[in-house]
Amino acid sequence: MLSLDIENLTVAFPGLSSPALAIGRLSIDAGSRVAITGASGSGKSTFVNIVAGLERTRQGRIRWNGEDIASFSESRRDRFRAANIGLVMQEFHLFHGLSALENVLLPARLAGAATVDVIERGHALLGTVGLSRPGQKIETMSRGEMQRVAIGRALLRKPGVIIADEPTASLDAESGEAVGDLLLDLAIAEGSTLIVVSHDQRLAGRLDRRITFGSGRISEDSAAAAGEAA
Amino acid sequence: MIRFILSDLRRLWAGSLVVVLLVALATALGVCVVLQERALRLGSARAADKFDLVIGAGGSETQLVLSSVFLQPSPLPLMPGEVLGKLAADPRVDWAAPIGFGDSFSGYPIIGTTTTLTQNLSGGLAEGKIFAREGEAVIGAAVKLSLGGEIKPMHGSLEEGGETHTELVYHIAGRLRPTGTAWDRAILVPIQAVWHIHGMEAEEHEEDSGHEHEAASGTDSVEHGHEHEKAGADHDGHGHHGKADPDAALDETLTAGAPGLPAILVKPKTIADAYKLRQEYRSGNTVAVFPGEVLTNLYATLGDAKQILVAVASGAQALVAASLVLVTVIHIGQRRRQIGALRAFGAPRGAIFGIVWLEFFFLVAVGIALGFALGYVAALILSGMFSQTSGVAMPVVFTREDVGLAAVLLAFAAILAALPAVLAYRQSPAQALRA
Repeated sequence: MLSLDIENLTVAFPGLSSPALAIGRLSIDAGSRVAITGASGSGKSTFVNIVAGLERTRQGRIRWNGEDIASFSESRRDRFRAANIGLVMQEFHLFHGLSALENVLLPARLAGAATVDVIERGHALLGTVGLSRPGQKIETMSRGEMQRVAIGRALLRKPGVIIADEPTASLDAESGEAVGDLLLDLAIAEGSTLIVVSHDQRLAGRLDRRITFGSGRISEDSAAAAGEAA
Repeated sequence: MIRFILSDLRRLWAGSLVVVLLVALATALGVCVVLQERALRLGSARAADKFDLVIGAGGSETQLVLSSVFLQPSPLPLMPGEVLGKLAADPRVDWAAPIGFGDSFSGYPIIGTTTTLTQNLSGGLAEGKIFAREGEAVIGAAVKLSLGGEIKPMHGSLEEGGETHTELVYHIAGRLRPTGTAWDRAILVPIQAVWHIHGMEAEEHEEDSGHEHEAASGTDSVEHGHEHEKAGADHDGHGHHGKADPDAALDETLTAGAPGLPAILVKPKTIADAYKLRQEYRSGNTVAVFPGEVLTNLYATLGDAKQILVAVASGAQALVAASLVLVTVIHIGQRRRQIGALRAFGAPRGAIFGIVWLEFFFLVAVGIALGFALGYVAALILSGMFSQTSGVAMPVVFTREDVGLAAVLLAFAAILAALPAVLAYRQSPAQALRA
């Protein structure tokens, strides 16, 4: 279970006058379930890239349980992400030609982390997300099934945090709801922190805390509002 | 990782195939040039192997070797027939045999010589027996005629529009074992017959042994009256031609009075004898050559031609290499998302480097292997075609050098394969995923 602390973060892209993301201070408790919402271009994706270490920043601190990944080298960030962050993306980024199970295990195998236990967990996870045929080729699956495989992959190495970027946006309402349920249930069962970026108001509404972005800044935070109200 | 690479290659099979073919063809080109050049060198060296010392009248040494060893038709100047007699009597000479050219039959050169050469050329006959009369012939292993068949000699060759000799029809008496030389396509006949057809009877010779001929014709005319008559009739029509009797016995005493000869093949007893003989027959009207030596000089010239071919092949390979670089850069562009995703989900950069490198190296390595096979097959086919027309066996063989060539190509492939791998390494996963 990981907690997140961001301090003085500024992400600017060349050619843009205002920063894509500017956060003075943000804390997310370990084990909490947070929804990130906001209009397109509000900085949500940049936020995911930065906290997941997919993009590096030179300004500010991003601490996961006190470890500042902003100061890590590229490969150290890759290793940290592989071990601690489970990613679920809108475009599943699964690999065609491989089976569901092979897709779940691929990153761990490439990292040399696919022990017997991990492989067994892969099998179990596929069962948990409701897929009964681990040998099925990924390209023969429906989109909803694909996203379940992606969730299985994200959870394989027992990450301290699950970050889902628009996990339901490319699914129909029914599959979307099922995937949302799975994410919530599994985050609770695994004891992972959950950060979901979503337009989906119903999904966002089911999470403990809602942070809304506008023009690269936090425009609304349900936790802060609750604190002020109290 | 291997499974991932395989499924990736399956998915991108068309592009992979193009890369493999491109590499294979470029490699095949280079390999074929190298193999063919070697085959030519080895084949001609082996063909010349049996010919220790060739003596001819003054003129081009190269032409003498080409005509005597490779049976390339060309008018050679004649040397006096007495040279042969002198050589035959020389104690340093194991044996000496005349080689007379000029006639052909359906594309096969007819060589006038003696039984000695016929016997020594291939170490015996594959079938039949050696010629014992003027009207008999022995054919090389690659001559597509059957024993007992008739050979009507034609002056010159078909391409030159030579006229057919009607004085004499040879009957095939035997077939030589294969030698892997141009002589496999030769028809060997008694030189005496060639002389007779061309009216080149030495006066002394005729005077000395004329009675033998008469006796022979007398008996044979009873058995083969028809042929004899025909020969006789033709003789009348072509006054300039000599008398040719197919049943005349052979006289191979090689007297000093033999008619003029274009070339004599000499088998010296020792190497020292060979050098002494060459020295001796280099002066005056004759020229003596070691075919091997002449060929070495020829290869020096050929070597330059090979350099040019190799340069052309290398140029083609460089072009392919450049196009491969282009292909990989485009390929990497298309794979940015995949590489980004792999990293995002926790594949270490080393593993991604490995995947991209292995995948590319695998394709190029397969291409190189295929290219070697293709080049080998192409060289075999070319050699076969060349052997068919020249009779010279062209051995297509790989040597130690070729391992070096393969190693260089693979090393180059390894470096080339690292290029996309490095490119894949240089982008952030977020950027790659946005692509």
